[in-house]
Amino acid sequence: MPQDNHASVYVYGVLSGADLAGVSVGGVEGAEVRTVEHAGLGALVSTLSADALAAARELRAHWRVLEEASKGATVLPVRFGTVMESDAAVRERLLEPNAERLTELLGELAGRVQLNVKGDYDEERLLRDVVRTSPQVGALRERVRTLSDAAGYYDRIRLGELVAAEVAARRQQDEGLMLARLEPVAVAARTEPVSSQTGAFNLAFLVESKEVDQFSAAVGALRAELGERVELRYVGPLPPYSFAEADLGAGAEAWA
Amino acid sequence: MAVARPTGGYLERPRPSGLADVVDVILDKGLVIDAFVRVSLIGIEILTIDARIVIASVDTYLRFAEAVNRLDLVQEDQSQGLPELMESMTSGGAESKTKGALSGIKEALTGDDDEDDDDKEKSSSRRRSSSSGSSSSRSSSRSRSRKSS
Repeated sequence: MPQDNHASVYVYGVLSGADLAGVSVGGVEGAEVRTVEHAGLGALVSTLSADALAAARELRAHWRVLEEASKGATVLPVRFGTVMESDAAVRERLLEPNAERLTELLGELAGRVQLNVKGDYDEERLLRDVVRTSPQVGALRERVRTLSDAAGYYDRIRLGELVAAEVAARRQQDEGLMLARLEPVAVAARTEPVSSQTGAFNLAFLVESKEVDQFSAAVGALRAELGERVELRYVGPLPPYSFAEADLGAGAEAWA
Repeated sequence: MAVARPTGGYLERPRPSGLADVVDVILDKGLVIDAFVRVSLIGIEILTIDARIVIASVDTYLRFAEAVNRLDLVQEDQSQGLPELMESMTSGGAESKTKGALSGIKEALTGDDDEDDDDKEKSSSRRRSSSSGSSSSRSSSRSRSRKSS
């Protein structure tokens, strides 16, 4: 059912009706953020007129709305770029059929925050260590250095492959160390792929709000232990992006 | 260090996030109501490709090989010799060297009104691109253009 010039509704997240409060920052396209309510649940939405959004700019709006809304409440973030037909659709196809699941998720996440711990290797230290500890890498490196770019092409690929394997082994070890220390002080943990070639680990933790200090102390100890080898970024509290996992299928009534 | 505490001398606290810290999380996570998505997101493929660029590929290998070859191992035995020390003091050490594929997008995403950490990122990627292209920025743009062509 295509409808011309019909405004649609951008959806940011879902929260408990008891936590509903105004969001003062502008949403996607600068539109005012409001709520659609049903059965003790509220969806944060704003009206959308465009058919296409500039992803980079609107990602910022999406993020801001969720940051602000989650300051005093538990918010289930909805995946970036989710748009529904109308307020009625938000009520009838998001909140109503999924009320039980959403309420349950909100209950699980209440009083808990997401904290992200990312590590990046100091590239030079990392590679020095690889060359020093792997005889294979050391030998191949010497060989490649004597060859021209063209002649050494496949050797260089092989060398890089060996280095990548060594780096992967270090990642696994460091990720294991982080999880072993931090999981006991967290409610849950998620491991995400690293986002750069010198990334060491990329971890998300769900932590009880009242235990954040304890978690932080464990992070501090790890920071000292990793030293200059790994640059640690400890960020939060965030809305529980990594723990609000649910595929709320539209079922047979899929709207196309 | 006058104060020796087990945590390394200061109280660890999470830093409030900038958008750049969580861009991959925001793109990838959250409730999915997939049947309802209909808006087109212009430029989304660039964001998502960059966020997943760390895959085993020839580009990755060549970049690592290049980086390993550039290492000056003479310094190694002096364990943090003066030049290295100077470098880590002046350039902020790891920060400026290890920015990977995401810095391009991060730059695109971070506006003037953003927090401290983004500024640092912007200046480090600017520094790099002006130095006639380090291997990391070259390899990421190479794979991006290959994928989108």
